[in-house]
Amino acid sequence: MIESLLLTLRLAFWVSLTLLLLAAPLAWVLARYDFRGKRLLESILLLPLVLPPTVLGFYLLLLLGKNGPIADWTGFTLAFTFTGIWIGSVIFNTPLALNNYREAFRSIDPDLIATARTLGASRWRIAREIVLPLAAPGLLSGTLLVFSHVLGEFGVVLMIGGSLPGETQVLSIYIFQLTEALRIQEANQVALILVGLAVALLFTIRGLEARWKSTTALSTLSGSK
Amino acid sequence: MEIHYRLEHPVRLQIDLVVRGFTVVLGESGVGKTSLLRALAGLIPARGQPFEGLRAEQRPVGYLPQHYALFPHLSAWQNVAFPLAHLKRERKARALEYLAQMGIADLAERFPRQLSGGQQQRVALARALAREPEILLLDEPTSALDVATRDEVFGGVIERLRALEIPTLVVSHDQWLAQRADWVGVLTKQGLVQQGSSEEVFTRPATLEVARLVGFRNLWQGRVLAVDGLWLQLDSVFGLLKALAYPGARPGDEVWLGIRPEEVFTAKGEDNRLLAEVSQLRSQGLRLRGQLKVGGASLEFLLPRYKREELDLSEGKRLEVYLEPRYLHLIPHGPKST
Repeated sequence: MIESLLLTLRLAFWVSLTLLLLAAPLAWVLARYDFRGKRLLESILLLPLVLPPTVLGFYLLLLLGKNGPIADWTGFTLAFTFTGIWIGSVIFNTPLALNNYREAFRSIDPDLIATARTLGASRWRIAREIVLPLAAPGLLSGTLLVFSHVLGEFGVVLMIGGSLPGETQVLSIYIFQLTEALRIQEANQVALILVGLAVALLFTIRGLEARWKSTTALSTLSGSK
Repeated sequence: MEIHYRLEHPVRLQIDLVVRGFTVVLGESGVGKTSLLRALAGLIPARGQPFEGLRAEQRPVGYLPQHYALFPHLSAWQNVAFPLAHLKRERKARALEYLAQMGIADLAERFPRQLSGGQQQRVALARALAREPEILLLDEPTSALDVATRDEVFGGVIERLRALEIPTLVVSHDQWLAQRADWVGVLTKQGLVQQGSSEEVFTRPATLEVARLVGFRNLWQGRVLAVDGLWLQLDSVFGLLKALAYPGARPGDEVWLGIRPEEVFTAKGEDNRLLAEVSQLRSQGLRLRGQLKVGGASLEFLLPRYKREELDLSEGKRLEVYLEPRYLHLIPHGPKST
């Protein structure tokens, strides 16, 4: 069980970190700029939200599997590996991360950025000293949401990774197999761990959101008192 | 400083304006006031002088949007120090000097959410001044202030900016502000229709629209019957009236006649005697607002409240009113060819 728990936490950590680095800049662009093909790009990025996880997992399996195009190209078979379920989870959680990050950026008053420019600040300095500090709690709570979401992942991981202990057997798959084998007592223990983790994470996210609202409140109209 | 600017988007606007001291551009919402400031600050594309071709980061302007845009995660002095990044060690000392200049050095450690609207405005002004701008651009600076304390809060700001001798361009729909300006421009959908000293714009509006914007409530059509040197005779809804001739006045001119509510009860004399009946009387704080029925027309007036006893005013009372010829404002429109 410890093996599955550590694997799940490791997966959640890498997926969250990857999405923070990839999806946050993308969310900034989507929140601030208009360009040709923006709606098409958004639709593609949000697709994993409406696709059944098994369907997404199925196509990823074909893509990453032994005779798939990636294997032909690079010689690496990523199906049934940790890297494989990592890639699958990143894609599956992209909509969740994008939506949360985009909200974090959208809540920043555009006047703050415009005024910072008139005060002589470069775009890089504005990003570092204005946008990031103001969006930080929102970015962090979005990242924790992704983290907790990955803890419960099932369909996509099962399709791409199967259930190899220490490599792809995450907690929810472990619970499923324990239940199938009628080892209810053990399944219950593992499930309770996930419940505890979920509650703790949600509690932290709520706290972050409250803080975030109090710091960004002034950048809107209601803050002028 | 002279400003010549042309905008295409979000509004079409061509503006040639002089900025003299504390200058207010008066206009209703939607005529492009904010866009003009944003264009000058380099935040939206536009053509014109000064600052043509410079990016927003390079323009020597101090721009203050309507809600001041203080950075909520920085304290007052850190906000002011934002444009002073190049100073490194002296940053805080300089920021405190700018705060002191606006009279709020004691608020340096507070965060924006701990400041009142007027205090936030002063911090934002100190921050704009720290940029060492050639011109200050203020967007509706009185809109977020209470009317009751506006005089106290913003009157002081105007004096400080005058003392610093920084050209300031303010856009606003606030007549109170325009009355305190050194120079006033009036912006309408047709563009900048008038600019001049505050007295000139308020007493001699160039068009009907300007007249409405600067507070003329009584506006009627009339026709010039005769011109005699300084004076002319006008056929109006009140009968024949004597008024000051405007430049180029000719018999037959169609004009708008404007009378400010404050200037109805001003004269006792022989000119422009009207028989009127008080049809409405309402006290408005320290002032008395009412309407006079004169023939078929009604004339709005505004008086200090003590005048009620002095003139013994009450609803239904009949009385004589004399309209001072110098206070009748005429706006020519389409002179009739003879």
